[in-house]
Amino acid sequence: MATVESRTEYWERAKEQGFDLSWLSQLQEHVAGEGVEERSANDTGRVQGSIPRGNVARFGAYTFRTKSEVWAYNLTKLYEEFITRQWSSATDIPWDTIQPLSDDIEASQCQLATFFTQVEFVASDVPGRFISTMSPDYQEVRLALLAQVMDESRHLDVFRKRALANGGGLMRMIDSVSDVVGGSTDNAREFTEFSSRLHITGEGNVLTLFRLGEMMAYNEAEKAIYRRCAQDEARHVAIGVLHLRYMNEFAPERREEIHCYLDEGESRQATGAGGENPAGQSQLTSQALAVLLGGGKDKMDEGQNILRAIRQRQTKEYFQRLKSAGFDDRIHNGRVNPALLEQYKAAA
Amino acid sequence: MALDEEQKPADSTEEGDQSQESETAPAVSSEPLAWMNDTLQWGVRVQPGRKGLTMRDLNVGIYGEVPESSSDMSRRPRGAFPVSGIPRTDLYALSARVDLWADNAVDLYEEAIQRRWMGHLEIGWDEITPQPYEFELAMRQFCTELAQQASIETDVIGQWLHKMNYAYHEVKTFLASEIFDTGRHYTTFRNRALHNEGSLGLESAGQFNRRMMETRPGWTEVGMFLYLVRGPLTLLLYRYGEAYARNRADKFLFRKCIEDKARHMAYGMAHVKYAVDNQPPGFGQGLGNLMRGVERDLVQDLRDPVLWEALAIIIGGSVANIAQGMAVVDDLKRQYIEDYLKRMQWAGVNKTEANLSPDLAAFLRREETAPTGD
Ligand SMILES: [Fe+2]
Ligand SMILES: [Fe+2]
Repeated sequence: MATVESRTEYWERAKEQGFDLSWLSQLQEHVAGEGVEERSANDTGRVQGSIPRGNVARFGAYTFRTKSEVWAYNLTKLYEEFITRQWSSATDIPWDTIQPLSDDIEASQCQLATFFTQVEFVASDVPGRFISTMSPDYQEVRLALLAQVMDESRHLDVFRKRALANGGGLMRMIDSVSDVVGGSTDNAREFTEFSSRLHITGEGNVLTLFRLGEMMAYNEAEKAIYRRCAQDEARHVAIGVLHLRYMNEFAPERREEIHCYLDEGESRQATGAGGENPAGQSQLTSQALAVLLGGGKDKMDEGQNILRAIRQRQTKEYFQRLKSAGFDDRIHNGRVNPALLEQYKAAA
Repeated sequence: MALDEEQKPADSTEEGDQSQESETAPAVSSEPLAWMNDTLQWGVRVQPGRKGLTMRDLNVGIYGEVPESSSDMSRRPRGAFPVSGIPRTDLYALSARVDLWADNAVDLYEEAIQRRWMGHLEIGWDEITPQPYEFELAMRQFCTELAQQASIETDVIGQWLHKMNYAYHEVKTFLASEIFDTGRHYTTFRNRALHNEGSLGLESAGQFNRRMMETRPGWTEVGMFLYLVRGPLTLLLYRYGEAYARNRADKFLFRKCIEDKARHMAYGMAHVKYAVDNQPPGFGQGLGNLMRGVERDLVQDLRDPVLWEALAIIIGGSVANIAQGMAVVDDLKRQYIEDYLKRMQWAGVNKTEANLSPDLAAFLRREETAPTGD
């Protein structure tokens, strides 16, 4: 091993031969800072903690360069979970367990699968759009979002597979735009607005439904699809809850604004507007669900009863998320959507 | 329930009208359960094969008809029953097949999932024991550069993915898998730089990063930069990283990254070729012309000492042997330019030594000195 003196000597010799090595001295002195900057001055796409150079053109123009706009707790751990819990729609679903179903059941599964194959990619396109507008200094957030993009692609894919696997086909496309107050998930320009809409409201409702997948599954393949998608969806919802929890603590001045996003989300949840909640009222998917839950198109009344219980469960879980994120004051101070409050009370 | 008899049978595999997706939607009934009739093709029963039930298996009947262009702006899944009166969701700038397609994307998507790996669990981090001081410093610099290349790739794809029309879900899902890979590459290389109480090195020289990020005319141009210009360089850096790795763990991580990168490039090359073959005459020539200025950006990055001196120290083992290491680095650069020319020609872009930027051509004339260890 070279001594410091001999090292200085042959570094000098190398420089005399024309090598630069100034970077090596910089690296020697560089200590990676702890934690993430509150405000990012990174405009060149450099890795968080790396040594900036003075001569690189700025091309980042990142919209989001303040930690409190995007940050969330524990994302590193969540990202690791994203990595470990990937699965394959080709080989991890026991497709051979699917047996022919009656026409009404098959049509209902296919309508539901068409719904999911369409809306799953909303949850891919939109986070995808945010990733590249965010400073790489907040890479943990970017990583969670890009992992979500992967998950949602698999969801699009697995539901398309289900629709075409059992003698059915794709069915009616979904209208996810009409009747939306305050804009659809696609429209959000603010990360917190986007996250509360997508992660908390939209995916929260889907998560509850996936968790109850056993009730609408008619074979092991469908059970596996819902079970695995529920695991994935729980991570997506977690991004939103961990973000809101952070905002509650570090950006309390934005609480009122966030409550406004929640107002909008709740009104969508209560009315079914925005079409993202397949169990939402007046959705054609809720008819499909009633057929599946009841056990046939002649047992839809029974199905509708179960569906009502599912909506209550969605609301209950939504309230739990509010509590976990620190925004449950709205439940007690009269701000929460009255229809949801009623559902919540009925569920208790 | 009565599904209409006139619906097409599933096994009608004749190619439909592929010129453009139908723009007129049939009227839908608002009667309860009327949706039960709303399908363009019923009776499809795809079967899992040797590789399970793959996305390619789904491309039967109308579901496999990939339109030349799509005017649908409402995320209608390909083959789903259209409904008139649905407001548009977004303006998908990439709505022509020629702008993004590659036939292999559908298989590469499944491959990406089958070959997934977990950096934090599968790499034997304990095996990466401290190496001589200068080697460690150089390795940190090398890994910082590779982490940034991965993160720039995230940004580049992120800028374009949401502009792609739903009709081409094979490409969108493949690119989702690629963006996922970039996250894994970023994390792995950053963690490798920080391992053994390490730290990060200097940011990239950045000329070519800027070029990729600032390119606006189309995904094909970006794809040429990402997959035919940057890609071969990244791949070679991974290869040299593997060849000169001093432990199994480093070898493993470089090898896994090579597999991923090869997959990304398989899509990118196929896409650029598809675009050149299917765009109006002169498109490939335009891509070649575009490269004239871009090559000067490349020269700047290739002359910036930081990455190359770091690699020379890794290869030579110490600063004392940096000159020997640099001779091997010069080989790498020569191979890189050769590879770049080959790939461009394969894709139909007229790039030869004769029309190459003289400064880049200079890298070709350096004599070979050492094997790469491939
Ligand atoms: Fe999903
Ligand atoms: Fe999701």
